[in-house]
Formats: sequence, structure tokens, C-alpha cells
Amino acid sequence: MKLLNKILFGSLSLLFLLPGYNAFAQTADKGSVSVAVSYFNANNKIPYVVVKVKTKVNGKFQNVGGIPLKLSLNKDSEGTLIGKVVTNEQGEATAIIPQSLKKEWSSTVKHTFIAAFAGNAKYDSTSTSLTVSKAKILIDTTSSRSVVATVMELKDTTWTPVKGVDVVLAIRRLGSDLNINETATFATDSTGKASGDFKRDSIPGDLKGNITLVAKVLDNDTYGNLFIEKKVHWGSKFVSKANDFNARTLFATRAKAPVWLMVIATGIIIGVWTVLILLVQNILKIKKLGNEA
Amino acid sequence: MENSKSIAGEEQIIQDLLPRKFKNSGKILVYILSAFCLVGIYAYYRQLRYGLIVTHMRDYVSWGIYISNFVFFVAISLVGSLITAVFRLAGVKWGSPLTRIAEMIAVAAIIFASIIIIVDMGSPERFYNLFLYGRIQSPIIWDVIVITTYFFISILLLYYPLLPDLQILLRFKEKSGPRLHKFYSYLGSFWKGSHKQYLLSKKAINALCIAIIPVAFTIHTVTSWLFATTYRPGWDSTNFGAYFIAGAFLVGAGAVVVAMYIFRKWYGLEKYITLDHFDKMGRVLVLLCLLYLYFNVNEFLTPFFKMKESEAGYLNDMFSGSFAPVFWFAIFTGIILPIIILLFKKGRKPLPMFIVGIMVVVGAWFKRYLIVTPTLLHPFMPMHDVPASYHHYFPSWEEWAITMGSLAGAILIIVALCRVFPIIPIQETINEHHETAK
Amino acid sequence: MELKDSSRRDFLIAGLAVAAIATGCTPGSPFEAAVGDDVKPSGKKVKLLSVDGEEIEVDEAFLKPVPHMPTITNAEARVGIPGKKFVMVIDLSRCKNLKKCQSACNHAHDLNPGENWIKVDPMQSAEHTAPYWEPTTCMHCDEPPCVKVCPVDATFKRQDGIVLIDSDRCIGCRFCMAACPYSTRVFNWGAPEIPADVASQPYSAETSIPQKKGTVGKCDFCADMTRMGMLPHCVSACPNGTFFYGDLNEDSVTNGAETFRFSDLMRDKGGYRLMEDLGTKPSVYYLPPVSRNFPFESGLENDKLQNK
Ligand code: SF4
Ligand code: SF4
Repeated sequence: MKLLNKILFGSLSLLFLLPGYNAFAQTADKGSVSVAVSYFNANNKIPYVVVKVKTKVNGKFQNVGGIPLKLSLNKDSEGTLIGKVVTNEQGEATAIIPQSLKKEWSSTVKHTFIAAFAGNAKYDSTSTSLTVSKAKILIDTTSSRSVVATVMELKDTTWTPVKGVDVVLAIRRLGSDLNINETATFATDSTGKASGDFKRDSIPGDLKGNITLVAKVLDNDTYGNLFIEKKVHWGSKFVSKANDFNARTLFATRAKAPVWLMVIATGIIIGVWTVLILLVQNILKIKKLGNEA
Repeated sequence: MENSKSIAGEEQIIQDLLPRKFKNSGKILVYILSAFCLVGIYAYYRQLRYGLIVTHMRDYVSWGIYISNFVFFVAISLVGSLITAVFRLAGVKWGSPLTRIAEMIAVAAIIFASIIIIVDMGSPERFYNLFLYGRIQSPIIWDVIVITTYFFISILLLYYPLLPDLQILLRFKEKSGPRLHKFYSYLGSFWKGSHKQYLLSKKAINALCIAIIPVAFTIHTVTSWLFATTYRPGWDSTNFGAYFIAGAFLVGAGAVVVAMYIFRKWYGLEKYITLDHFDKMGRVLVLLCLLYLYFNVNEFLTPFFKMKESEAGYLNDMFSGSFAPVFWFAIFTGIILPIIILLFKKGRKPLPMFIVGIMVVVGAWFKRYLIVTPTLLHPFMPMHDVPASYHHYFPSWEEWAITMGSLAGAILIIVALCRVFPIIPIQETINEHHETAK
Repeated sequence: MELKDSSRRDFLIAGLAVAAIATGCTPGSPFEAAVGDDVKPSGKKVKLLSVDGEEIEVDEAFLKPVPHMPTITNAEARVGIPGKKFVMVIDLSRCKNLKKCQSACNHAHDLNPGENWIKVDPMQSAEHTAPYWEPTTCMHCDEPPCVKVCPVDATFKRQDGIVLIDSDRCIGCRFCMAACPYSTRVFNWGAPEIPADVASQPYSAETSIPQKKGTVGKCDFCADMTRMGMLPHCVSACPNGTFFYGDLNEDSVTNGAETFRFSDLMRDKGGYRLMEDLGTKPSVYYLPPVSRNFPFESGLENDKLQNK
């Protein structure tokens, strides 16, 4: 039975094929986790892998935190260890390819990332792997405000353009990227290029009107996730709008109370309390008179 | 020059008006009130320990009878300024025997108003934050400032007219006992009744009378603004300040009538609080009732006429829904019936007046309840995604206990004050006696 | 108030991207833009491998997962992030009362059971109009009546538009609850039932954790998440993409999967705010429930569970 579980849950894809399995899994001694590996490369610099661990509870996927995983490159051996990671609350963990694997990294154009979980008291052991080809993405812009992305793959020792890769062209924004026009993705042609027109006129940029463009390849079966950025001067200048934060308002902090309010309030308080203090003094005066008499 | 007859009268007055030791009934009253207070304190202990969860206030009804009670106390405290200041400035002579009672009620009420507001706080241990971080933009801070000021003025207004009486009290050492005697001499041994002293004191009392009126109006207006500065249907009213002040005058006067009757009976003060006083107070009360009725009509008729969507739920609930019994009770008992009774000369006799006074006070208390709760149960957004108990409000025993305890506490303060000080200003009565004798 | 110059970003970008991804936001949409402004270089370099097999040096600080960012002091939390103006857009045509937003919010903020900062109300404006589901959060009003009335500055408005609560200062007067026309504030009437290790943490106004007895609570727009460049929990939790979140100064909102230009959404879909007539100027915008994705009835079942 355990063996069966191992086989069945060896990969995420198999799990998807068996939607009815959950009832079965519940009767097993231990739960099973599925591990997914994704490859990322930002600006053609540091490659890294993200692993995500999930489990199925009552037919729904849940992220599993605290799962220790061993990540290795190409083969599961001590010499090719990328690192040991533990998943966080979202069930994710990240590892960067260490410098020590320089030789292994340069030896091939295709890499296999292996994530292995040795099993613990709650879940059975499992392992999964992902194979990607080394690829690069370049970004360029034209004077007529279109964005051109080029995707290239390393074949033997030369970078060659690839055709038919879907590329997202977008502007970096808080929390997400806004596509440069209504098209969701652009496919590369035979020269490896994909281009789109910038249609987000006068989108706010920074103080100088700069915005950051990004070209991304997302979850590609062969190349993983690649992205590259470029700063351009296409946005409108950020004008800080009149912000009430530093103004004297009724909803500001105590230090920023409206002047009229402070004047009236202190005026009244001082006025009334002067009278009261005078009246107390008056008592003292009466007292003095009485004691003199 | 005074003749011998008037001196004899003077002694008589003093004998009549000196504070006396409690008889058995008085002691029993004190015990009962203290028992209420103790239960209230125990309930408050539970509230401190477990939090406001012991109350039945929840997210929608986030203010309950504590706040109603607070408004009630603030309202009653207004009477001090009415009887003392307004009457004095208006030259109403017959009011002077009532001034002391009124001031005592005012002081007791204002003390408990401030206590109740702390009781209502979810984190009372952080009370000092009000002083550390107070924001002048918040009506609560206005209230804190005004209540402090009003308390102070009320104390002064109680104290100044007391000075001549203290001198008299000091003459009766055996009667008051050594401890009270010491207390009296601490408070007022310096008063020799010289002309200079008298002039200074008179000036001070006049100044106080003038100062207390705007402050009294402010305390009540600001309290009404705690509600009127929000958007809630039923609170969002420009009428609120005036409406509150009119109501406060009424309940304050009602409380004085009740106190007049009780003290008169207890101390046998028929000579000093006369039928005439009741008659006059009755007329004042009618006037105040009519005034309050006028503001009520203002407050409810125009929204009723329009029946705005946001206000309809609240209005219907008041007029014919779940709050209708309380609403109509408060209107009839607190305003309409008193008007009818007091319009008749017979209705302005002591006993009917006493009953009317109680009706006014009780009606007013429920009126305060209606000002707070129904509005909170009719928010703009639907009451949804909350436990079922959040949809209605009936105070828990702890809330009742604390409220009753605070009412008992206020009465206890009044009782204590009248044990220590003469409830009717002796010196003033003597002076008036001289004037009438001449 | 000014936007920080982001030229520094160019040579740090790789590391930043790692830092952002490591925090677990949707892979493929790393939020390094927001992270960049807050992480300070540590001066310690680590050697890493580039895709070409070359060695590159990256400052260690940028490799750390974001949760290790320096804790925000109370004073910083009161000021907010300069140059930002956070807004939310709620598309009513997508809501079917799944309440995933609510449970995610309750979980993320360790709320006392039974307490909800997000409420999904069944709305029907008039007898013959169609009912719809309306999720409500704190509107983070630009002229917040709740802040106006707070006597001790315990609830405050930040320069980025977020209204937060300092539970270490709140005296529990509940004036803000009475003042809020959207009835969004909840109160911790008793000691909240939360795990002891959560309860013993020092309070942070940006996470609103832990909730404390006798103080008020409400939606905080996940100010901590926003500081890390991530989306609020409700936004990522909704499977129907009902919630959009973003920076008005960038004119863009996203629900994690889709990103729109905010001004386009408002123009094309007729965005509006709740109770505009009160002048509270909310930061939460609604898109009307037209061409709905789900019938109203599909949400009724789920509603019964909670509102018996
Ligand atoms: S919705 Fe309510 S709590 Fe939120 S900012 Fe506006 S008034 Fe304040
Ligand atoms: S309950 Fe707290 S946050 Fe609200 S007004 Fe009072 S002190 Fe301010």
C-alpha cells in the first residue's frame, strides 16, 4: 500500500489524473504530499528554483509548511546538492544555485532539478523532478513605442532564437504587472522576437516619468520562468497630489488640529479657568480677611 | 435694629434647619443604597475581569445603558445651574430655599457621570491616555474638559453659599460632634461674616452664576454632540443640542421636585418648603414639559413626514415597532401626563407633584435609553455575518447592577451631603425672614 | 512626499527578485518594485551563479526572505508608505458569497472566532431590484469619521490612505464604532480566543495582531503585506477574483491573476463608492453587479451556515 502511494504520488500530474483518490488516501496510515518544482531566472542573472508542497484534504489542495526537502542538480548525489530547504507557511521554499555547482551547471544545456522529501511522521516520502533548457530573454524598445522581447535557447554553445514561445509584455505595478496593451501574450517568431505596441499612454511613472517594462516567459514547459526588465521614459511624471496627511484637519493627529479649533478651544478653556482660579483666589482672600479679623 | 421676636425666630430657623443624625429610617435607606452600590461594584469587578463581554452590548449596539445613564446624569446635573443661576439672575426670590438641594444633586450627578463614562470604557486602565494623547478634535475630549470644568464650578457654587452656614454650624459643637466640627472648622472657620467678606463672596457667587450657565449649556450640548457628530439616523440632527438641553432642564427640575418633597417630609420643613414653592415649581415644570414637548415634535415629526429610507426603520421601530411601548411610555409619562396633571391647581400640591416628579425622572431615563439604543440597531448597512445575539439588545444583569449601583451611589452622595450640610441655606433664610419681618 | 529614485534598482534587481519570490507571492509576478524601497543593503556579499555559469556577487540582504525585514516601529506604522495611495476595487458581478475572503482574513489576523472584518451582505436596494452580494471591508475613508472622533489618536489615517488602529493605545470608548457609517468596526468585548503565542506578541498596527480585550478592530488593508509588496489576504483568497487591489498613484489594480488600469475599470464598468453623499471619500470602489458570473441564489446556501 505504501509502495502504491509512493508510485501514485510521485508526481503532481498523476495526482490530477486521480481525482477520486482522496477517499482512498484517507484510509492510508499517512498522508501524501505533492511537490512541484519551478525554475526562475531574473534578468538572465541568478537562476533559482521554487518548490511548492501541497496536500489534498477533503478533495481540496492545501499548502503544507515545514516540509524539509533536498534539492539537487541533475542527479541525486552529495556533490550536486543545491541545498536543503524547509517550506514556509505557504508551502513554498526557494533555493539559489550555489557557486559550488559551477562545473555541473556549465556541463550541460539541459538541467534537471530534483526535489526529494524523505518522509516524516505525517507524510510519506516523495520526490519529483523538473527539466529545463537554458534560455535567455532580452528586452528592447523601439522609438515608435513598441516593446520587443527575444527568447533564445542555448544549443551546444550558441544562443539560438526560439519560435513559438508565449511572452508577456507588461509594466511593473504594485502587486502585479499591467500588460502594455489588451493582448495577454505575444508569441515569438522565427527570429525569437515577440513585439507589442505600448498602449498605456500617460500611465503614471515616477517623478521623472520613468516606468519599468518587463518581458516574461511564464511556466514554460521547456524553459521555466524567465523575465527581464527595462526602464523607459514613457510614463507621465508623478505629481504628488494634494495629500491631506500633513494638513491641519479634523481627522489629523492631535499635533495637527485645525488652528481655528485650537484657538477657540484654548481660548474658552483659558477664559473659563481664569475665572475659576480667580474665584479660588477669592476664597483665599476671604480667608485672609477672616484670619486678620 | 432687630427686635427680640425676630431673634427668637432666628434661633427657631437654625434649630429647624441644622443637619441631624439619621433616624432608623435614614439608616435603613443608607444600608439599602450601600447594598445596591456593593452589588454594582461586584458587577464592575466582573466586568473588569472578563471585559465588556459581561454586558450585552455587541458590535451593533456598541453603546448601551451605560451611555444612556451617562446622558441621564449629565442631564440631571444641569439643574444646579437652572435653580441656582437662572433663578438667581432672574431675581426669582422664592427659589432660594431650593438652591442647596439643586447644587447637591448637581454635584452628585456630575460625579457619577464621570464614573459611568469610565465604566463604559473597554480599557479603563488606559484612562490616562485621554490626558497623554488627547485630541482636541474629538468631542469626547470636549466632554472631558467641560465635565471637569462643570464639576469644579458646581463645587464652588455649593461651597460659597455654604460659608455663612458653616459659621452657624460651628456654633453647635455638641450637636455635630467633634469630627464634623473639625471638618466644619477646616472648611469655614475663617468666615467671620464681616461686610468685606460678604461683599467678596457675593461678587464671587454672582460671577459663578454667570459662568455656570454657558458651561452648563456646553456640557449638555457637547454630550449631545457625541451623537450628533455621527451620521446615524436618529442622531444626525441639528436639533440635538437644544433638544438635550430642554430635556435636561426638565429632568433636573423633576429631580428637584422629588427631593423637595422627600426632604420636606423627612425633616418636617413644611415652614420652609411651602405649598407656594410646590405651586411655583409646578408652573416651571409645566413650562419645561411644554418646551421639551416642542423639541420632541421637532425631532420626530419632520423625519416622520419625510420617512427617508435610512431613517424609516428606526422611526417605525420607535412609533410602532419593538421600541414603541417604551417610546410611548416615555412620551406620555415623561411629558404629556405631567403637563395635564400640572395644569390643574390641585396637581401642583406636594403629593401629586412628587408623583409627577418621579414620572418625569423615570420617563427621562427611558428617553435616554431610546436616544441611544434604537439608532444603533438601525445602521446603514445590513446587520449580517454576525452572531444572532448581535441583532438585539437587552442589558445583562451586570449592566443593570452597575446602573442601579450608580443611581444608588448618586443618591448616597446626596444623602451624605444633607447629613453634613443644611439642605436649606440657613443664613439666606434668616435674611429673608428679616426682610419679611420688616 | 516624493517617490524614491529607483535607479539603484537596476543593479540589484536580480537579488530583489529572489527576495520577493521567496516570500511566496504568485510565482511569475514578483513584486520587487515595492520591496526595493525598504530593504537596506547589509554590505555582506554572497557569491552566486549566473545563468551563463559566471559568478556574481549579491548583497545578502536582498536574498533574505522578506518576513525578516526590520520590524516597523509604531511611529513608522503611523506615517505609512510615501507616494502611495492604496485602493481596492470590488467587482460585485463576481461575488457569490463564498466567503473565502472572510476566512482568509480571519485566519491571517487571528481574529476572535465569530468576529468578521469582512462581511458579505445580501443587498437589495428596492423591492423590484435584483439582490446581489456585497463584500464590505473598512473603506479606508479619506475623510474618516472614525478618526475624527477618536479621543486618543488610537485610530489614525496614514499618508498612503490606510486607516489603522493602535490597540496599545485604544481606550475602548467605541466612539469610532458609532461614527463609522459602514458599521465595519468590531470590538473585542472579551479576551479574544487566540493562541497564547500569538497573544503574547507585541502589537503591531500594520498586522493588527494580536487583537486585545477591550479594544476595537477592523480591516487594515493588510498594511504589512502591502509593505512587502504583496496583496491583501482577501484579494488572493477569492477564487473568483472579486477583489482588486493596487496603488492609485500607479493607476493600476490587480486581483493576482488579472491586472487592470484603474481608470479604465472605473470608466468602462461604472465604478462607484458606497454612501458617497456622506462625504467620507472611501478608498474602496465597487463595480456594479451587471452581467454577473453567478446567480444570487448560488450564495444563499453558504449564507445559512453563518446567519442562522
Ligand atoms: S469605513 Fe468606517 S472604519 Fe473605515 S475609515 Fe471609513 S469610517 Fe473609518
Ligand atoms: S474605541 Fe479606541 S480607536 Fe475607537 S475612538 Fe475609542 S479610543 Fe479611538
